Amino acid sequence: MTTTEFIPTRRAAVVDTLFRFQSLFGLVLVLVAAVVFSPTHDGELLFLDSENLFNVVRAISEIGIIAIGMTFVILLGGIDLSVGAVLGLAAVGSAVLLVNDGFGVLPAVLVVLAAGLVFGLLQGVASAVFGIQAFIVTLAGLQVARGLARIWSGGQGVAIAYGDGPGEAPVAFSLLGERTFNGLVPIPAVIFVVVAVAAIAFLRTSAFARHVYAIGGNEKAARLSGVAITRVKVLVYGLSGLLAALAGIIHAGQLNQGSPNDGSGYELDAIAAVVIGGTALSGGRGSVSGTVAGALLLGVLNNILALNSVDPNVQLLIKGLVIVVAAGLQRLRPTP
Amino acid sequence: MEEPGTPLVAMTGVRKAYGGTLACDDVDFTVRRGEVHALLGENGAGKSTLVRILSGDVTDHHGTIEIDGEPAVFGNPADARRRGIAMIPQELDLVPGLSVAANIFLGRELRTKAGTVARRRMHRETRELLARTGIALDPKRAVGELRTGEQQLVAIAKALALDARVLVMDEPTSALTGAEVERMFKVITELRDAGAGIVYISHRLEEIGRIADRATVLRNGRVAAGFAARDLTAGQVTAAMIGRPVQALFRVTNERHSKHGETGGELLRLDDFALRPRRHRPGRREPAGISLTVRAGEIVGVGGLLGSGRTELLETLFGAGTPGRWHGHLSFDGEEIHPRSPRHAVRLGLALVPEDRRIAGLALPHSVRANTALSVVDRLATAGFLARRRENDVTTKVLTDLRVKGALADPVGTLSGGNQQKVVLGRALLTEPKLLLLDEPTRGVDVGAKAEIYQLLAAAAARGIGVLLASSEPAELVGLCDRVIVLQDGRTSRELDTHDAGEAELLAAAMGEAR
Amino acid sequence: MSGKHFALPALVLILAACGTTHENSGQGASTSAAACKGAEGKYTIGVSQANVAEPYRKQMDDDIARAAKQYPQFTVNFADAQQDNAKQVADVENFLTQRIDLLIISPNEATPLTAVVKKAYDKGIPVLVLDRKVDGDAYTQWIGADNVDIGRQAGQYLAGKVLPRGGKIAEIRGLAGSTPAKERQDGFAKGIEGRGIDIVTTVDGDWLREKGQQQADAIFKSHPEIQAVYSQNDPMAEGAYLAAKAAGLDQKIKFIGIDGLPIPSGGIKAVEAGRLAATFVYPTGGREAVASAKSILIDCAKPAKTQMLPTQLVTQANAAEVYAKGNR
Repeated sequence: MTTTEFIPTRRAAVVDTLFRFQSLFGLVLVLVAAVVFSPTHDGELLFLDSENLFNVVRAISEIGIIAIGMTFVILLGGIDLSVGAVLGLAAVGSAVLLVNDGFGVLPAVLVVLAAGLVFGLLQGVASAVFGIQAFIVTLAGLQVARGLARIWSGGQGVAIAYGDGPGEAPVAFSLLGERTFNGLVPIPAVIFVVVAVAAIAFLRTSAFARHVYAIGGNEKAARLSGVAITRVKVLVYGLSGLLAALAGIIHAGQLNQGSPNDGSGYELDAIAAVVIGGTALSGGRGSVSGTVAGALLLGVLNNILALNSVDPNVQLLIKGLVIVVAAGLQRLRPTP
Repeated sequence: MEEPGTPLVAMTGVRKAYGGTLACDDVDFTVRRGEVHALLGENGAGKSTLVRILSGDVTDHHGTIEIDGEPAVFGNPADARRRGIAMIPQELDLVPGLSVAANIFLGRELRTKAGTVARRRMHRETRELLARTGIALDPKRAVGELRTGEQQLVAIAKALALDARVLVMDEPTSALTGAEVERMFKVITELRDAGAGIVYISHRLEEIGRIADRATVLRNGRVAAGFAARDLTAGQVTAAMIGRPVQALFRVTNERHSKHGETGGELLRLDDFALRPRRHRPGRREPAGISLTVRAGEIVGVGGLLGSGRTELLETLFGAGTPGRWHGHLSFDGEEIHPRSPRHAVRLGLALVPEDRRIAGLALPHSVRANTALSVVDRLATAGFLARRRENDVTTKVLTDLRVKGALADPVGTLSGGNQQKVVLGRALLTEPKLLLLDEPTRGVDVGAKAEIYQLLAAAAARGIGVLLASSEPAELVGLCDRVIVLQDGRTSRELDTHDAGEAELLAAAMGEAR
Repeated sequence: MSGKHFALPALVLILAACGTTHENSGQGASTSAAACKGAEGKYTIGVSQANVAEPYRKQMDDDIARAAKQYPQFTVNFADAQQDNAKQVADVENFLTQRIDLLIISPNEATPLTAVVKKAYDKGIPVLVLDRKVDGDAYTQWIGADNVDIGRQAGQYLAGKVLPRGGKIAEIRGLAGSTPAKERQDGFAKGIEGRGIDIVTTVDGDWLREKGQQQADAIFKSHPEIQAVYSQNDPMAEGAYLAAKAAGLDQKIKFIGIDGLPIPSGGIKAVEAGRLAATFVYPTGGREAVASAKSILIDCAKPAKTQMLPTQLVTQANAAEVYAKGNR
């Protein structure tokens, strides 16, 4: 036992590799099932219709974007229950600024993004500086954001009409509800993919992300290693708020309305996507690519259940089971 | 007073290995009715493994256990408890938020006929049990509000409630005040006179002389000596505890001792340094008057018994201690400093290798690379982004220097204890500290890795790094350090020059034995 | 090494782009002619419901299912948006992928669903919009009742029959921000205008019985002088009644609700039992929708753009009769 040789790189064990791509396998599995169970029309598999596939991506793009922010928060060992409400707040904000306040598209988007960022940062401060549990802080944040959205909107949905006149939003904003590349690829799907690629790159290459993982893996060790725990936490909650606001802007653009009740329960779908994607709720382990796969898995599942006209109540049941199975797979993963 | 008949507990040929290290190697151990049997030995000598086997916590061992002459096989601690063996660990297993009575009856609450919890009966029985331990406490009080000494007695009462005949007590007095110790002894004596057998683990020799009937000394997993406690002297015990082979570890550092005579300028200076915490944290011994100096290139040891404030001192210096006001003087590299956070301390040129690497040192599922580079990732990054190759190069270099066995991508938790410790050390060294603070750097590390760590620390000192090393192992302090500061109750009680003092002297000093 | 992690999002787009395409889009709005295949045809009808958790909407689905049983040509698929506009958009898109022959939609809200309804309509699929409208006119027929009118009738009834000499009342609103809550509020305000009725307080009951009870509880504590409660739906009115009963005020205060569902837990039974003074039937339009579907698909007729359903006042006098009619 005296060979003290350090091997800089060695291939990770097969099991580790398998589990790293666990969520992707789950996605592939669901995709295969979707093809197998796809209803047909004139001999054509309806699931594989390209418009349908893009519908799937569009449908999960908002959840996907907030789930990416949620991934950072959960990697920290935290949770952000406010994202759905912040999405609603941002949707209302976009509509009010564009329609009632005559903002241009860019100023409105920037103001709303800044509002989401600040909202998240404040929650981060409450949690990291004052030591209130993230669950409580963001649960309160959920209420506050809903309240603000109701006040800001005057208590009801603000419809967005497009045009040049007063009380009309610039036509450019309606792009969010459009499709590009020959009317095929929905803009929200494109934004989702761009955000996902950026987040994956950021998570893999930034020093900041290392700090995020370290805090989730062992906060005490991270602190004693000189990691600025408070700052990292505050910024991560800020990021989550920012992405929720982005999703809210997309929401308003897709639905041509900002309504204070928008995004109810989205936080739970986002958490589900993160968990299915293999990120541990205890923190320190997981990836954005897993979350993207998790969100897509949920989207494909929703789609194929709907295409087969499965009873809506049974759909809920099946989705619940899939989440439990995904979480169960987590336990099989070897932990040192 | 040799007692005939079968002993209460007889452990024969007990053996237990962790990886390649034998924690217990063919140990015979008995407990008789009505005796206090002290168990002595350095850290890692096998004491805790032996009592964990006895209390059913460790089950995959060799050798036999007999209770009242009948063989017993424990599958879990509950089995052992059913046979009358109760363990009172150093970290008490009480739930702070629950009342005294609820703790004592935890998991076997008394019921009324209607099936509800029989609160009043539990309170009455709790009062009776507490009376046997000699205190009158309100059974409704939350355990978290009690003083440490009172909590100890509640833990004993809990054991009594289970009709325990064998009580294993691990350092029961380490956190107690003088008066509380006296009361504890009274309880132990009464229990012994009532026929119970007590296994008493302690480092404090004078306590053992007072309370124990017999003493067994373990060293490197084997029984090194057995004494009748009346005959026990400090010299005998320390000789048995240290043994000779340990000396071999320190050959390198001894050479260093003989070579060096020159050290650099003064790096750290504490003058009557004390911390008055804003809010008292139970179980902590904050610095209450510490004076010491560390020069560049010097290794200074911090000794003292458990609970003497070693860890608290290092944490406070590193900005990770209890918040509060500082008194006295602290200067580092010629300037008065006051690290507000570990991050600040690292920037000032300090680095800490914390006491328990699993709790405070490493994110076990994360890679060796991520753990090693953690303190310097932002320094390595360009515009916030980390070049993987640069990170690989830097970590590979330090881990190669430290002779870590493993690969960059391995989860650090799969490495052996010694290699894990080297990863923590490597992370500290990567910050290029001027002063290295080490807390029990060789705990849970096998002998080979221990020797390597000593060499690495000696090499670090040779490069001009000052080292402040807290340890509960006298051999380590004497063998590695130039000077040793002995702490008692958060104060400097003694400073020993290791060129003159031997291990025995240090051990005696640490254990509070009057010379 | 790092490449494969970016592969996933890219894969998403590529995968979607590789799917098959079909060419049946853009047939314009010349709706019913293309869809109608007469009595010999087989038709799939998609029903996109806003939120089945609301008893009223559940009743609408049940009415549709019951009525559609008469026509063996019809297969009806139901989707539930769970009160989420975005989910309802996806539901309709899925129906389009399924190549349904007719869409019945009860939109969660108007504007957000407009685009996707138009998309269906432009594909040549007849669209029947129930209850809540969509913006514009890209649909085949709207079937529903007028919430403003029902609110006004409720107001007039209260001012005329319950408190003819004026008095103090409380209003329990539905979910703040929802259109019917606003309309039933505005209509009611018109109905009591100049009749000496003073709305002492208006609270949000979110359409929920327990929320109504909770809010009413607070009202009765702060305003025990209240003489009547106008609740924008029956369940909240029932909740308020329970609160009044607990406070010993149930004999003193009159309760008026809206919806009048012909189910055991509905408002009609509550009126019959005397808990509510009156309710106004808000018809689901489910039966009428199936009738329209039949006329479009089987009879190849072109229905009117609007089918306004009348409400009905339910008092103890006619409750049993209305209930029986609703279950026929």
